[in-house]
Amino acid sequence: MRRFGRQCRGQGKVFVTLVRQTETQLLTTGRQVGGLAQAAQAQVQSAGQLAEDQRIRLATQLKVALAAHQQIATQSQRLTQGKSLSQCKIVNAYDPTIAPICKGKSNCPTQFGRKPGLIAEPASGFIFAFALPVGNPADPSYVVPLVDKVQHAIGQVASRPTLAIHSLAGELALNDSKLRETLHGRGILTVGIPQTVEPLTPAPTPEEIRRMLHEAGLPHQRTPHQVQLACAAGYSRPVVESIIASLLGRGAARITYKGQRGAIVQIGMAVMAHNAATVRRIHQDRLSKRAQKFRRLLRLKRHKANEFKDSKN
Amino acid sequence: MRMLRHLQYWLTGGGPHIRVADFVPETHPVRQWADTFPWAGLVAAVERSVAQRFPTPTARGRAPVATRVLLALELLKHELHCSDEQICSQLRTDLAVMYACGIGEVQVDGSQGHFVLPEVLAQFRSRLDAAVMDELLALQAAAAMEAGLVSPAHLVVDTFPSEQGSQRVNDAATLYKAKKKSSRSSGISPITAPPRARR
Repeated sequence: MRRFGRQCRGQGKVFVTLVRQTETQLLTTGRQVGGLAQAAQAQVQSAGQLAEDQRIRLATQLKVALAAHQQIATQSQRLTQGKSLSQCKIVNAYDPTIAPICKGKSNCPTQFGRKPGLIAEPASGFIFAFALPVGNPADPSYVVPLVDKVQHAIGQVASRPTLAIHSLAGELALNDSKLRETLHGRGILTVGIPQTVEPLTPAPTPEEIRRMLHEAGLPHQRTPHQVQLACAAGYSRPVVESIIASLLGRGAARITYKGQRGAIVQIGMAVMAHNAATVRRIHQDRLSKRAQKFRRLLRLKRHKANEFKDSKN
Repeated sequence: MRMLRHLQYWLTGGGPHIRVADFVPETHPVRQWADTFPWAGLVAAVERSVAQRFPTPTARGRAPVATRVLLALELLKHELHCSDEQICSQLRTDLAVMYACGIGEVQVDGSQGHFVLPEVLAQFRSRLDAAVMDELLALQAAAAMEAGLVSPAHLVVDTFPSEQGSQRVNDAATLYKAKKKSSRSSGISPITAPPRARR
């Protein structure tokens, strides 16, 4: 997993004592919230001047606010009793969906934020889909929803019905054997899983190709040529880093929109802006030699620079 | 000189319309970037989603800002790394931004009927949700695949961290800082005081 910043050690004892003291104070202050909320609920129900839909909206908002308070109170009680917290602990009272994005030691400060997942074409860097789950789930849980989204996008292509996902490469996400079986069941080869310390060869021998097809159980669905292409594409950290850097430069580095929905909108817009820039690069043929070679092998269209003559606006 | 006078006229007074596309070169990066989007499909998807979840707007008051303009502004904001205020300000004066927003012609007077307030952009954003974002990205990917520019055959999957911006300081951090500050200001003890330089 990619992380940012430097992990530095903090003063653990000070923080633990301080957190316990603060939580006790917060619990004492928050005791009044329950009573006040009940009174407010009764007032909303009895207010005759409010329209029905307005009353329903206010009651719903109050209910949501109370649920948030209940979550925070439960966490505070666990902290004052010295019990450990569950995996998705609340770190911001105003946005319970923010989670620690890396799991460190208890006496080290950790960053809070989100961990978007993306699925992209390695040749050009075009991102087909992204996922932004609540909290910080394990990496393998990202893969199947992302593949589903790509297949939904493929379903919308009318003029080229033969499109399909042949292979998927990943560093951490594809180490899970159950996930690999799921992907093989869908006819997708998985590459980039290092079984030894030696790096994967980009040009496998016919024996290795046969072995890969046999292990995946796809000797009749995938051809040796597709395996060769999958190995050539492989998993390259610099390629992934360049896609991530482009997204970070387009505002995906810091989530400033509010809540989970806001984070999805922000990441989504950054991804779409990145994709448009990628398509522009493809039109202008401003791609790396590796990408150009890969595109030739995939028989993808090569645009000329003067194709922007007609305005599409 | 004639063109300059024409532009000055647009900035200060009333007059004929300007065709925005005539003033933005075909090689302009923003124009090329904007031309890659399948705008009709994206706008239809947003309008369909909003119509399903929100009440229909009334016909009273000022005419609403087009979805095409708001969607383009939101995307441009990320491409040009601007704030809401900055991108809305650019829309008033930057012809490339106007082109990207699908504004074909601009009234050559100072009234600037095409302006968008940052609050309107924020309101538009609040109406977008996860489903519509997935739909928009799927439409963009489908358009690129349809044109034969990209292929989903061989893909790579990964995750990356996004920091939480403008995070509010919690009570524990405030107390910790206050404690540290008070201990500093209470005076330096003779043990920890730095030794004086000898003459």
